[in-house]
Amino acid sequence: MTDEDEEREIKMIVAMVRPDKLGDVKQSLAEVGAPSLTVTNVSGRGSQPAKKGQWRGEEYVVDLHQKVKIETVVADIPANDVVEAIKEGAHTGEPGDGKIFVIDVEDAVQVRTGERGPDAV
Amino acid sequence: MTYELLQAVDVGAVASSVNFTWILVVTFLIFFMHAGFAMLEAGQVRSKNVANQLTKNLLTWSVGVVVFFLIGAGVSSLVGGGSFSWVPNSSPGSWASSWLYGAVFAMTAATIVSGAVAGRAKLRAYVAYTFLLAAVIYPVVTGLTWAGGHISFGGAVFQDFAGGMIVHGMGGIAGLTAAKVLGPRMGRYNEDGSANVIPGHSMTFAVLGTLILAFGWYGFNVGTAAIFNTDASGAITSFNGAVVGRVALTTTLAMAMGAIGAGSVAWARTGKVDTLYVANGLLAGLVGITAIPNASTWWGALAVGLLAGAQLPFVFEFVEKTLKIDDVCAVFPVHGSAGVLGTLAFPFVAESSRYSALVGDASMVSSFIAQLAGVVIIGAWTIAATALVWYGFKMVGQARVTPEHEQEGLDVSEHGVETYPEFGGGESVVADGGSPANFSEVNNDD
Repeated sequence: MTDEDEEREIKMIVAMVRPDKLGDVKQSLAEVGAPSLTVTNVSGRGSQPAKKGQWRGEEYVVDLHQKVKIETVVADIPANDVVEAIKEGAHTGEPGDGKIFVIDVEDAVQVRTGERGPDAV
Repeated sequence: MTYELLQAVDVGAVASSVNFTWILVVTFLIFFMHAGFAMLEAGQVRSKNVANQLTKNLLTWSVGVVVFFLIGAGVSSLVGGGSFSWVPNSSPGSWASSWLYGAVFAMTAATIVSGAVAGRAKLRAYVAYTFLLAAVIYPVVTGLTWAGGHISFGGAVFQDFAGGMIVHGMGGIAGLTAAKVLGPRMGRYNEDGSANVIPGHSMTFAVLGTLILAFGWYGFNVGTAAIFNTDASGAITSFNGAVVGRVALTTTLAMAMGAIGAGSVAWARTGKVDTLYVANGLLAGLVGITAIPNASTWWGALAVGLLAGAQLPFVFEFVEKTLKIDDVCAVFPVHGSAGVLGTLAFPFVAESSRYSALVGDASMVSSFIAQLAGVVIIGAWTIAATALVWYGFKMVGQARVTPEHEQEGLDVSEHGVETYPEFGGGESVVADGGSPANFSEVNNDD
Protein backbone atom coordinates (compact mmCIF):
# COMPACT_ATOMS: atom_id res chain seq x y z
CA MET A 1 0.00 0.00 0.00
CA THR A 2 1.23 3.50 -0.76
CA ASP A 3 1.08 6.42 1.68
CA GLU A 4 -1.62 7.92 -0.47
CA ASP A 5 -3.72 4.77 -0.07
CA GLU A 6 -3.46 4.96 3.69
CA GLU A 7 -5.07 8.37 3.67
CA ARG A 8 -7.97 7.01 1.63
CA GLU A 9 -10.04 5.31 4.31
CA ILE A 10 -12.47 2.49 3.52
CA LYS A 11 -15.78 2.79 5.37
CA MET A 12 -18.74 0.49 5.52
CA ILE A 13 -22.16 2.02 6.03
CA VAL A 14 -24.75 -0.42 7.39
CA ALA A 15 -28.36 0.73 7.54
CA MET A 16 -31.60 -0.94 8.62
CA VAL A 17 -34.54 0.76 6.88
CA ARG A 18 -38.20 0.22 6.01
CA PRO A 19 -38.60 -2.23 3.09
CA ASP A 20 -40.89 0.19 1.28
CA LYS A 21 -38.24 2.94 1.42
CA LEU A 22 -35.60 0.82 -0.34
CA GLY A 23 -36.40 2.33 -3.74
CA ASP A 24 -35.91 5.89 -2.42
CA VAL A 25 -32.64 4.91 -0.71
CA LYS A 26 -31.28 3.33 -3.91
CA GLN A 27 -32.16 6.51 -5.79
CA SER A 28 -30.48 8.86 -3.30
CA LEU A 29 -27.38 6.63 -3.08
CA ALA A 30 -27.03 6.76 -6.87
CA GLU A 31 -27.31 10.55 -6.69
CA VAL A 32 -24.26 10.82 -4.38
CA GLY A 33 -22.25 8.46 -6.60
CA ALA A 34 -22.47 5.35 -4.42
CA PRO A 35 -24.85 3.06 -6.31
CA SER A 36 -23.23 -0.28 -5.27
CA LEU A 37 -24.93 -1.98 -2.36
CA THR A 38 -25.92 -5.29 -0.78
CA VAL A 39 -29.48 -5.75 0.52
CA THR A 40 -30.73 -8.39 2.98
CA ASN A 41 -34.21 -9.01 4.37
CA VAL A 42 -33.98 -8.84 8.15
CA SER A 43 -36.29 -8.71 11.18
CA GLY A 44 -35.57 -6.48 14.13
CA ARG A 45 -36.80 -4.66 17.17
CA GLY A 46 -36.24 -1.02 18.10
CA SER A 47 -38.43 1.94 18.91
CA GLN A 48 -41.29 0.83 16.62
CA PRO A 49 -44.19 -0.43 18.76
CA ALA A 50 -45.21 -4.11 18.53
CA LYS A 51 -48.08 -4.89 16.21
CA LYS A 52 -50.78 -7.55 16.22
CA GLY A 53 -50.78 -10.44 13.80
CA GLN A 54 -53.89 -12.53 13.21
CA TRP A 55 -54.42 -16.20 12.33
CA ARG A 56 -57.93 -17.62 12.06
CA GLY A 57 -59.35 -14.68 14.00
CA GLU A 58 -56.89 -14.90 16.87
CA GLU A 59 -54.35 -12.20 17.54
CA TYR A 60 -50.70 -12.67 18.41
CA VAL A 61 -47.91 -10.16 19.07
CA VAL A 62 -45.34 -9.39 16.37
CA ASP A 63 -42.49 -7.40 17.96
CA LEU A 64 -39.87 -8.12 15.31
CA HIS A 65 -40.53 -5.92 12.31
CA GLN A 66 -39.56 -6.63 8.71
CA LYS A 67 -36.69 -4.38 7.63
CA VAL A 68 -34.07 -4.40 4.92
CA LYS A 69 -30.39 -4.16 5.78
CA ILE A 70 -28.33 -2.14 3.32
CA GLU A 71 -24.57 -2.52 3.28
CA THR A 72 -22.44 -0.22 1.20
CA VAL A 73 -18.67 0.25 1.24
CA VAL A 74 -16.99 3.45 0.06
CA ALA A 75 -13.42 4.71 -0.26
CA ASP A 76 -13.42 7.92 -2.24
CA ILE A 77 -16.91 9.16 -1.48
CA PRO A 78 -17.22 10.64 2.03
CA ALA A 79 -19.10 8.27 4.35
CA ASN A 80 -21.06 11.25 5.56
CA ASP A 81 -22.54 11.79 2.08
CA VAL A 82 -23.70 8.17 2.03
CA VAL A 83 -25.19 8.50 5.52
CA GLU A 84 -27.04 11.66 4.52
CA ALA A 85 -28.30 9.99 1.34
CA ILE A 86 -29.68 6.99 3.23
CA LYS A 87 -31.17 9.21 5.93
CA GLU A 88 -32.91 11.32 3.33
CA GLY A 89 -34.21 8.33 1.37
CA ALA A 90 -35.43 6.34 4.37
CA HIS A 91 -37.01 9.14 6.41
CA THR A 92 -40.72 9.16 7.23
CA GLY A 93 -40.57 10.73 10.71
CA GLU A 94 -42.37 7.81 12.39
CA PRO A 95 -40.78 5.34 14.87
CA GLY A 96 -39.33 2.45 12.88
CA ASP A 97 -37.44 4.43 10.23
CA GLY A 98 -34.29 2.55 11.15
CA LYS A 99 -30.62 3.08 12.06
CA ILE A 100 -27.40 3.80 10.19
CA PHE A 101 -23.94 2.70 11.35
CA VAL A 102 -20.53 3.64 9.98
CA ILE A 103 -17.72 1.12 10.43
CA ASP A 104 -13.99 1.29 9.60
CA VAL A 105 -12.95 -1.35 7.10
CA GLU A 106 -9.39 -2.67 7.33
CA ASP A 107 -8.93 -3.81 3.75
CA ALA A 108 -10.76 -4.78 0.60
CA VAL A 109 -10.10 -7.27 -2.20
CA GLN A 110 -11.74 -7.40 -5.62
CA VAL A 111 -12.26 -11.09 -6.34
CA ARG A 112 -12.06 -10.76 -10.15
CA THR A 113 -8.79 -8.80 -10.38
CA GLY A 114 -7.16 -9.54 -7.04
CA GLU A 115 -6.72 -5.80 -6.53
CA ARG A 116 -6.45 -4.72 -2.89
CA GLY A 117 -7.10 -1.60 -0.84
CA PRO A 118 -9.27 1.41 -1.69
CA ASP A 119 -9.01 0.75 -5.44
CA ALA A 120 -10.75 -2.58 -4.92
CA VAL A 121 -13.79 -0.76 -3.59
CA MET B 1 -79.19 -40.42 -41.08
CA THR B 2 -81.65 -42.89 -42.55
CA TYR B 3 -84.72 -44.06 -40.78
CA GLU B 4 -83.27 -47.58 -40.47
CA LEU B 5 -80.18 -46.25 -38.69
CA LEU B 6 -82.25 -44.23 -36.28
CA GLN B 7 -84.26 -47.31 -35.48
CA ALA B 8 -81.06 -49.22 -34.82
CA VAL B 9 -80.00 -46.78 -32.06
CA ASP B 10 -80.79 -48.25 -28.67
CA VAL B 11 -82.03 -45.32 -26.61
CA GLY B 12 -81.44 -47.20 -23.36
CA ALA B 13 -77.79 -47.81 -24.26
CA VAL B 14 -77.26 -44.15 -25.11
CA ALA B 15 -78.81 -43.04 -21.82
CA SER B 16 -76.70 -45.53 -19.85
CA SER B 17 -73.60 -44.26 -21.63
CA VAL B 18 -74.48 -40.69 -20.70
CA ASN B 19 -74.88 -41.67 -17.04
CA PHE B 20 -71.65 -43.70 -17.17
CA THR B 21 -69.68 -40.84 -18.73
CA TRP B 22 -71.12 -38.37 -16.23
CA ILE B 23 -70.05 -40.57 -13.32
CA LEU B 24 -66.51 -40.78 -14.67
CA VAL B 25 -66.28 -37.01 -15.20
CA VAL B 26 -67.40 -36.26 -11.63
CA THR B 27 -65.14 -39.01 -10.29
CA PHE B 28 -62.16 -37.22 -11.81
CA LEU B 29 -63.39 -33.92 -10.33
CA ILE B 30 -63.67 -35.50 -6.89
CA PHE B 31 -60.19 -37.01 -7.27
CA PHE B 32 -58.89 -33.49 -7.92
CA MET B 33 -60.07 -32.53 -4.41
CA HIS B 34 -56.88 -34.21 -3.18
CA ALA B 35 -54.95 -31.35 -4.79
CA GLY B 36 -57.19 -29.00 -2.82
CA PHE B 37 -56.69 -30.81 0.48
CA ALA B 38 -52.92 -30.93 -0.10
CA MET B 39 -52.68 -27.17 -0.71
CA LEU B 40 -55.19 -26.26 2.04
CA GLU B 41 -53.32 -28.27 4.65
CA ALA B 42 -49.83 -27.34 3.43
CA GLY B 43 -50.74 -23.66 3.77
CA GLN B 44 -52.04 -24.07 7.32
CA VAL B 45 -48.94 -25.80 8.72
CA ARG B 46 -45.51 -24.32 9.45
CA SER B 47 -42.83 -24.40 6.76
CA LYS B 48 -40.94 -27.16 8.61
CA ASN B 49 -43.88 -29.58 8.28
CA VAL B 50 -45.04 -28.94 4.71
CA ALA B 51 -43.43 -31.95 3.01
CA ASN B 52 -44.79 -34.21 5.77
CA GLN B 53 -48.31 -32.90 5.17
CA LEU B 54 -47.98 -33.35 1.40
CA THR B 55 -46.64 -36.89 1.83
CA LYS B 56 -49.57 -37.79 4.07
CA ASN B 57 -51.98 -36.53 1.42
CA LEU B 58 -50.23 -38.52 -1.33
CA LEU B 59 -50.17 -41.68 0.77
CA THR B 60 -53.80 -41.30 1.91
CA TRP B 61 -54.86 -41.74 -1.69
CA SER B 62 -52.25 -44.31 -2.63
CA VAL B 63 -52.56 -46.63 0.36
CA GLY B 64 -56.26 -45.98 0.89
CA VAL B 65 -57.42 -46.73 -2.62
CA VAL B 66 -55.62 -50.09 -2.76
CA VAL B 67 -57.06 -51.08 0.62
CA PHE B 68 -60.53 -49.94 -0.44
CA PHE B 69 -60.18 -52.10 -3.57
CA LEU B 70 -59.04 -55.25 -1.76
CA ILE B 71 -61.06 -54.95 1.47
CA GLY B 72 -63.11 -51.78 2.02
CA ALA B 73 -65.66 -52.05 -0.80
CA GLY B 74 -66.39 -55.66 0.16
CA VAL B 75 -66.87 -54.75 3.82
CA SER B 76 -69.34 -52.04 2.77
CA SER B 77 -71.49 -54.54 0.86
CA LEU B 78 -71.26 -57.02 3.73
CA VAL B 79 -72.43 -54.48 6.32
CA GLY B 80 -75.07 -53.32 3.85
CA GLY B 81 -76.74 -56.71 4.18
CA GLY B 82 -75.25 -58.60 1.27
CA SER B 83 -72.22 -60.83 1.14
CA PHE B 84 -68.59 -59.71 0.99
CA SER B 85 -68.49 -58.91 -2.72
CA TRP B 86 -64.86 -58.85 -3.74
CA VAL B 87 -64.29 -56.10 -6.32
CA PRO B 88 -62.08 -58.19 -8.68
CA ASN B 89 -65.03 -60.59 -9.08
CA SER B 90 -67.53 -57.90 -10.10
CA SER B 91 -68.16 -56.83 -13.70
CA PRO B 92 -65.48 -54.55 -15.22
CA GLY B 93 -68.05 -51.85 -15.99
CA SER B 94 -68.83 -51.54 -12.30
CA TRP B 95 -65.14 -51.01 -11.55
CA ALA B 96 -65.57 -47.49 -12.88
CA SER B 97 -69.21 -46.63 -12.18
CA SER B 98 -69.41 -48.26 -8.77
CA TRP B 99 -66.01 -49.01 -7.26
CA LEU B 100 -63.90 -46.03 -8.37
CA TYR B 101 -66.85 -43.67 -7.84
CA GLY B 102 -67.16 -44.99 -4.26
CA ALA B 103 -63.40 -44.92 -3.75
CA VAL B 104 -63.05 -41.18 -4.38
CA PHE B 105 -65.67 -40.50 -1.70
CA ALA B 106 -63.93 -42.87 0.72
CA MET B 107 -60.57 -41.22 0.19
CA THR B 108 -62.08 -37.78 0.81
CA ALA B 109 -63.19 -38.99 4.25
CA ALA B 110 -59.73 -40.42 4.90
CA THR B 111 -57.72 -37.35 3.94
CA ILE B 112 -59.65 -34.99 6.24
CA VAL B 113 -57.97 -36.56 9.29
CA SER B 114 -54.45 -35.54 8.25
CA GLY B 115 -55.29 -31.87 8.76
CA ALA B 116 -56.18 -32.42 12.42
CA VAL B 117 -53.09 -34.41 13.38
CA ALA B 118 -50.60 -32.21 11.48
CA GLY B 119 -47.17 -31.44 12.87
CA ARG B 120 -46.84 -34.30 15.38
CA ALA B 121 -48.35 -37.62 14.22
CA LYS B 122 -45.88 -40.27 13.17
CA LEU B 123 -46.12 -41.09 9.48
CA ARG B 124 -46.42 -44.84 10.11
CA ALA B 125 -49.25 -44.25 12.61
CA TYR B 126 -51.12 -42.04 10.17
CA VAL B 127 -50.71 -44.52 7.29
CA ALA B 128 -51.79 -47.42 9.51
CA TYR B 129 -54.88 -45.43 10.55
CA THR B 130 -55.64 -44.69 6.88
CA PHE B 131 -55.44 -48.44 6.20
CA LEU B 132 -58.02 -49.17 8.91
CA LEU B 133 -60.25 -46.29 7.87
CA ALA B 134 -60.36 -47.47 4.25
CA ALA B 135 -60.74 -51.14 5.22
CA VAL B 136 -63.28 -50.96 8.05
CA ILE B 137 -64.20 -47.64 9.67
CA TYR B 138 -65.61 -45.86 6.60
CA PRO B 139 -67.05 -49.00 4.88
CA VAL B 140 -69.10 -49.76 8.02
CA VAL B 141 -70.60 -46.25 7.81
CA THR B 142 -71.52 -46.57 4.12
CA GLY B 143 -72.76 -50.12 4.71
CA LEU B 144 -75.19 -48.86 7.37
CA THR B 145 -76.39 -45.99 5.18
CA TRP B 146 -75.96 -45.85 1.39
CA ALA B 147 -75.55 -49.61 0.86
CA GLY B 148 -77.98 -50.94 3.45
CA GLY B 149 -80.30 -48.10 4.42
CA HIS B 150 -80.35 -49.63 7.91
CA ILE B 151 -80.94 -46.36 9.80
CA SER B 152 -84.58 -45.27 9.81
CA PHE B 153 -87.38 -44.16 12.11
CA GLY B 154 -91.14 -44.09 11.61
CA GLY B 155 -90.85 -44.80 7.88
CA ALA B 156 -88.19 -42.14 7.30
CA VAL B 157 -84.83 -43.47 6.12
CA PHE B 158 -81.71 -41.51 7.15
CA GLN B 159 -81.00 -39.01 4.36
CA ASP B 160 -77.47 -38.07 3.36
CA PHE B 161 -77.29 -37.34 -0.35
CA ALA B 162 -73.57 -36.87 -1.06
CA GLY B 163 -71.96 -37.53 2.32
CA GLY B 164 -72.40 -34.45 4.52
CA MET B 165 -72.37 -36.80 7.52
CA ILE B 166 -71.16 -40.05 5.97
CA VAL B 167 -68.00 -38.51 4.45
CA HIS B 168 -67.40 -35.07 5.97
CA GLY B 169 -69.03 -35.47 9.39
CA MET B 170 -67.27 -38.78 9.79
CA GLY B 171 -63.90 -37.32 8.68
CA GLY B 172 -64.22 -34.26 10.92
CA ILE B 173 -65.18 -36.30 13.98
CA ALA B 174 -62.37 -38.78 13.29
CA GLY B 175 -59.90 -35.90 13.00
CA LEU B 176 -61.03 -34.37 16.29
CA THR B 177 -60.77 -37.73 18.06
CA ALA B 178 -57.29 -38.47 16.70
CA ALA B 179 -56.08 -34.95 17.61
CA LYS B 180 -57.45 -35.40 21.14
CA VAL B 181 -55.62 -38.70 21.66
CA LEU B 182 -52.37 -37.35 20.19
CA GLY B 183 -52.34 -34.22 22.34
CA PRO B 184 -51.49 -30.69 21.18
CA ARG B 185 -48.36 -29.61 19.32
CA MET B 186 -45.51 -28.43 21.54
CA GLY B 187 -46.03 -24.81 22.55
CA ARG B 188 -49.72 -24.75 21.57
CA TYR B 189 -50.83 -24.38 25.21
CA ASN B 190 -49.14 -22.71 28.17
CA GLU B 191 -48.94 -24.35 31.58
CA ASP B 192 -51.96 -22.36 32.78
CA GLY B 193 -53.96 -23.80 29.88
CA SER B 194 -54.10 -20.62 27.80
CA ALA B 195 -53.63 -21.13 24.07
CA ASN B 196 -50.89 -19.78 21.81
CA VAL B 197 -51.49 -19.08 18.14
CA ILE B 198 -49.28 -21.05 15.75
CA PRO B 199 -49.76 -19.40 12.36
CA GLY B 200 -49.48 -21.47 9.20
CA HIS B 201 -46.88 -20.63 6.61
CA SER B 202 -48.91 -19.70 3.52
CA MET B 203 -52.31 -18.04 3.29
CA THR B 204 -51.92 -18.22 -0.49
CA PHE B 205 -51.76 -22.02 -0.53
CA ALA B 206 -54.65 -22.26 1.95
CA VAL B 207 -56.91 -20.17 -0.29
CA LEU B 208 -55.78 -21.94 -3.48
CA GLY B 209 -56.59 -25.26 -1.81
CA THR B 210 -59.99 -23.95 -0.72
CA LEU B 211 -60.98 -23.00 -4.25
CA ILE B 212 -59.65 -26.24 -5.78
CA LEU B 213 -61.76 -28.10 -3.21
CA ALA B 214 -64.82 -26.01 -4.08
CA PHE B 215 -64.31 -26.84 -7.77
CA GLY B 216 -64.07 -30.55 -7.01
CA TRP B 217 -67.13 -30.24 -4.77
CA TYR B 218 -69.34 -29.67 -7.81
CA GLY B 219 -68.42 -33.24 -8.75
CA PHE B 220 -69.03 -34.39 -5.20
CA ASN B 221 -72.57 -32.97 -4.92
CA VAL B 222 -73.90 -32.46 -8.44
CA GLY B 223 -72.26 -35.70 -9.56
CA THR B 224 -74.22 -37.66 -6.98
CA ALA B 225 -77.32 -36.88 -9.07
CA ALA B 226 -77.57 -39.04 -12.19
CA ILE B 227 -78.47 -37.50 -15.56
CA PHE B 228 -81.19 -40.09 -16.27
CA ASN B 229 -83.32 -41.88 -13.71
CA THR B 230 -83.51 -45.64 -14.06
CA ASP B 231 -85.86 -48.22 -12.57
CA ALA B 232 -84.81 -51.35 -10.72
CA SER B 233 -84.14 -53.23 -13.97
CA GLY B 234 -81.87 -50.43 -15.22
CA ALA B 235 -84.34 -49.13 -17.82
CA ILE B 236 -84.44 -45.36 -18.30
CA THR B 237 -87.52 -43.75 -16.80
CA SER B 238 -86.90 -40.00 -17.05
CA PHE B 239 -84.42 -37.15 -17.39
CA ASN B 240 -83.21 -36.09 -13.92
CA GLY B 241 -82.64 -32.42 -14.74
CA ALA B 242 -84.84 -31.08 -11.95
CA VAL B 243 -82.71 -32.74 -9.27
CA VAL B 244 -79.39 -31.96 -11.00
CA GLY B 245 -80.40 -28.31 -11.26
CA ARG B 246 -81.48 -28.16 -7.62
CA VAL B 247 -78.19 -29.67 -6.45
CA ALA B 248 -76.14 -27.25 -8.58
CA LEU B 249 -78.01 -24.23 -7.21
CA THR B 250 -78.10 -25.21 -3.53
CA THR B 251 -74.42 -26.21 -3.57
CA THR B 252 -73.43 -22.83 -4.99
CA LEU B 253 -75.62 -20.78 -2.63
CA ALA B 254 -74.50 -22.63 0.50
CA MET B 255 -70.84 -22.27 -0.47
CA ALA B 256 -71.23 -18.52 -0.88
CA MET B 257 -73.21 -18.07 2.34
CA GLY B 258 -70.67 -20.12 4.30
CA ALA B 259 -67.92 -17.66 3.38
CA ILE B 260 -70.20 -14.70 4.17
CA GLY B 261 -71.31 -16.25 7.49
CA ALA B 262 -67.83 -17.02 8.82
CA GLY B 263 -66.40 -13.71 7.56
CA SER B 264 -69.23 -11.74 9.18
CA VAL B 265 -68.90 -13.45 12.56
CA ALA B 266 -65.13 -12.93 12.53
CA TRP B 267 -65.68 -9.28 11.63
CA ALA B 268 -68.24 -8.78 14.40
CA ARG B 269 -65.97 -10.39 16.99
CA THR B 270 -62.56 -8.91 16.11
CA GLY B 271 -63.33 -5.96 13.86
CA LYS B 272 -61.44 -7.61 11.01
CA VAL B 273 -62.56 -9.86 8.17
CA ASP B 274 -60.23 -12.79 8.73
CA THR B 275 -59.10 -14.31 5.42
CA LEU B 276 -58.71 -17.85 6.74
CA TYR B 277 -62.18 -17.76 8.30
CA VAL B 278 -63.68 -16.65 4.99
CA ALA B 279 -61.87 -19.55 3.27
CA ASN B 280 -62.76 -22.10 5.97
CA GLY B 281 -66.34 -20.76 5.97
CA LEU B 282 -66.71 -21.34 2.24
CA LEU B 283 -65.85 -25.00 2.82
CA ALA B 284 -68.13 -25.22 5.87
CA GLY B 285 -71.00 -23.93 3.71
CA LEU B 286 -70.29 -26.68 1.18
CA VAL B 287 -70.11 -29.33 3.91
CA GLY B 288 -73.38 -28.03 5.39
CA ILE B 289 -75.36 -28.54 2.17
CA THR B 290 -73.71 -31.82 1.14
CA ALA B 291 -76.23 -34.03 2.98
CA ILE B 292 -79.27 -32.26 1.49
CA PRO B 293 -78.58 -30.49 -1.84
CA ASN B 294 -81.14 -32.70 -3.64
CA ALA B 295 -83.91 -31.78 -1.19
CA SER B 296 -83.26 -28.26 0.05
CA THR B 297 -85.23 -25.23 -1.04
CA TRP B 298 -83.24 -22.25 -2.32
CA TRP B 299 -83.81 -20.38 0.94
CA GLY B 300 -82.85 -23.50 2.88
CA ALA B 301 -79.49 -23.53 1.09
CA LEU B 302 -78.93 -19.88 1.98
CA ALA B 303 -79.82 -20.52 5.63
CA VAL B 304 -77.83 -23.75 6.02
CA GLY B 305 -74.78 -22.19 4.34
CA LEU B 306 -74.98 -19.10 6.55
CA LEU B 307 -75.31 -21.14 9.75
CA ALA B 308 -72.54 -23.55 8.72
CA GLY B 309 -70.22 -20.59 8.20
CA ALA B 310 -71.36 -18.66 11.28
CA GLN B 311 -70.88 -21.60 13.67
CA LEU B 312 -67.25 -21.95 12.58
CA PRO B 313 -65.55 -19.32 14.78
CA PHE B 314 -67.59 -20.40 17.83
CA VAL B 315 -66.99 -24.12 17.42
CA PHE B 316 -63.29 -23.59 16.66
CA GLU B 317 -62.94 -21.52 19.83
CA PHE B 318 -64.81 -24.17 21.84
CA VAL B 319 -62.51 -26.93 20.53
CA GLU B 320 -59.42 -24.83 21.17
CA LYS B 321 -60.19 -23.16 24.51
CA THR B 322 -62.63 -25.53 26.22
CA LEU B 323 -61.82 -28.99 24.88
CA LYS B 324 -58.13 -27.98 24.55
CA ILE B 325 -57.79 -30.03 21.39
CA ASP B 326 -55.21 -28.85 18.85
CA ASP B 327 -57.18 -29.26 15.61
CA VAL B 328 -54.53 -27.70 13.35
CA CYS B 329 -56.58 -27.19 10.17
CA ALA B 330 -59.96 -26.70 11.94
CA VAL B 331 -61.29 -29.94 10.43
CA PHE B 332 -63.95 -30.41 13.12
CA PRO B 333 -65.64 -27.01 12.72
CA VAL B 334 -65.35 -27.21 8.91
CA HIS B 335 -66.25 -30.86 8.24
CA GLY B 336 -67.66 -32.21 11.53
CA SER B 337 -70.06 -29.72 13.06
CA ALA B 338 -71.07 -28.24 9.68
CA GLY B 339 -71.86 -31.75 8.38
CA VAL B 340 -73.98 -32.54 11.45
CA LEU B 341 -75.83 -29.23 11.13
CA GLY B 342 -76.75 -29.78 7.48
CA THR B 343 -77.80 -33.38 8.07
CA LEU B 344 -80.12 -32.42 10.93
CA ALA B 345 -81.60 -29.56 8.89
CA PHE B 346 -83.12 -31.96 6.33
CA PRO B 347 -86.77 -32.00 7.52
CA PHE B 348 -86.84 -28.24 8.07
CA VAL B 349 -85.52 -27.04 4.72
CA ALA B 350 -86.62 -29.82 2.33
CA GLU B 351 -88.96 -28.71 -0.44
CA SER B 352 -92.28 -30.54 0.12
CA SER B 353 -92.38 -32.61 -3.10
CA ARG B 354 -88.73 -33.58 -2.63
CA TYR B 355 -89.44 -34.43 1.00
CA SER B 356 -92.20 -36.87 0.07
CA ALA B 357 -90.13 -38.31 -2.78
CA LEU B 358 -87.33 -39.10 -0.31
CA VAL B 359 -89.09 -40.09 2.95
CA GLY B 360 -92.68 -40.62 1.83
CA ASP B 361 -95.41 -39.92 4.37
CA ALA B 362 -93.10 -39.88 7.38
CA SER B 363 -93.67 -36.94 9.73
CA MET B 364 -91.08 -34.21 10.22
CA VAL B 365 -90.48 -35.49 13.75
CA SER B 366 -89.83 -39.04 12.50
CA SER B 367 -87.51 -37.74 9.81
CA PHE B 368 -85.63 -35.58 12.32
CA ILE B 369 -85.23 -38.56 14.65
CA ALA B 370 -83.91 -40.64 11.73
CA GLN B 371 -81.41 -37.88 10.89
CA LEU B 372 -80.40 -37.59 14.55
CA ALA B 373 -80.03 -41.37 14.83
CA GLY B 374 -77.75 -41.37 11.78
CA VAL B 375 -75.59 -38.61 13.25
CA VAL B 376 -75.35 -40.31 16.65
CA ILE B 377 -74.61 -43.79 15.25
CA ILE B 378 -72.00 -42.57 12.75
CA GLY B 379 -70.47 -40.24 15.34
CA ALA B 380 -70.28 -42.86 18.07
CA TRP B 381 -68.81 -45.52 15.78
CA THR B 382 -66.24 -43.08 14.40
CA ILE B 383 -65.15 -41.85 17.84
CA ALA B 384 -64.94 -45.36 19.28
CA ALA B 385 -63.01 -46.88 16.37
CA THR B 386 -60.66 -43.90 15.96
CA ALA B 387 -59.92 -43.59 19.67
CA LEU B 388 -59.24 -47.33 19.92
CA VAL B 389 -56.75 -47.21 17.05
CA TRP B 390 -54.88 -44.09 18.20
CA TYR B 391 -54.80 -45.13 21.89
CA GLY B 392 -53.36 -48.43 20.65
CA PHE B 393 -50.60 -46.59 18.77
CA LYS B 394 -50.01 -44.40 21.82
CA MET B 395 -49.65 -47.36 24.17
CA VAL B 396 -46.89 -48.84 22.03
CA GLY B 397 -45.26 -45.43 21.64
CA GLN B 398 -45.91 -45.16 17.90
CA ALA B 399 -48.49 -42.36 17.77
CA ARG B 400 -46.28 -39.29 18.02
CA VAL B 401 -42.80 -38.25 16.93
CA THR B 402 -40.21 -37.47 19.62
CA PRO B 403 -40.07 -33.91 21.01
CA GLU B 404 -36.68 -33.42 19.27
CA HIS B 405 -38.13 -34.40 15.91
CA GLU B 406 -41.20 -32.25 16.44
CA GLN B 407 -38.97 -29.27 17.25
CA GLU B 408 -36.82 -29.88 14.21
CA GLY B 409 -39.85 -30.31 11.97
CA LEU B 410 -41.28 -33.47 10.43
CA ASP B 411 -39.90 -32.69 6.97
CA VAL B 412 -36.34 -33.40 8.06
CA SER B 413 -37.01 -35.95 10.82
CA GLU B 414 -39.59 -38.12 8.99
CA HIS B 415 -38.63 -37.59 5.35
CA GLY B 416 -35.10 -36.17 5.25
CA VAL B 417 -36.19 -33.31 3.01
CA GLU B 418 -36.56 -29.57 3.33
CA THR B 419 -39.54 -28.02 1.57
CA TYR B 420 -37.76 -24.70 1.21
CA PRO B 421 -34.01 -25.44 1.10
CA GLU B 422 -31.94 -22.28 1.41
CA PHE B 423 -28.37 -23.38 0.88
CA GLY B 424 -26.92 -26.59 -0.39
CA GLY B 425 -24.64 -28.30 -2.84
CA GLY B 426 -21.02 -29.33 -2.60
CA GLU B 427 -19.25 -31.35 0.06
CA SER B 428 -20.49 -30.77 3.57
CA VAL B 429 -17.88 -29.35 5.89
CA VAL B 430 -17.93 -29.87 9.64
CA ALA B 431 -17.90 -26.58 11.51
CA ASP B 432 -16.46 -26.09 14.99
CA GLY B 433 -18.54 -28.08 17.43
CA GLY B 434 -20.63 -29.62 14.67
CA SER B 435 -20.93 -33.20 13.54
CA PRO B 436 -21.26 -34.63 10.05
CA ALA B 437 -24.79 -34.79 8.60
CA ASN B 438 -26.04 -38.33 9.06
CA PHE B 439 -29.43 -38.92 7.54
CA SER B 440 -29.66 -42.56 8.63
CA GLU B 441 -29.31 -41.31 12.19
CA VAL B 442 -31.82 -38.52 11.68
CA ASN B 443 -34.37 -40.92 10.22
CA ASN B 444 -34.03 -43.52 12.90
CA ASP B 445 -36.72 -42.47 15.33
CA ASP B 446 -36.91 -45.67 17.37
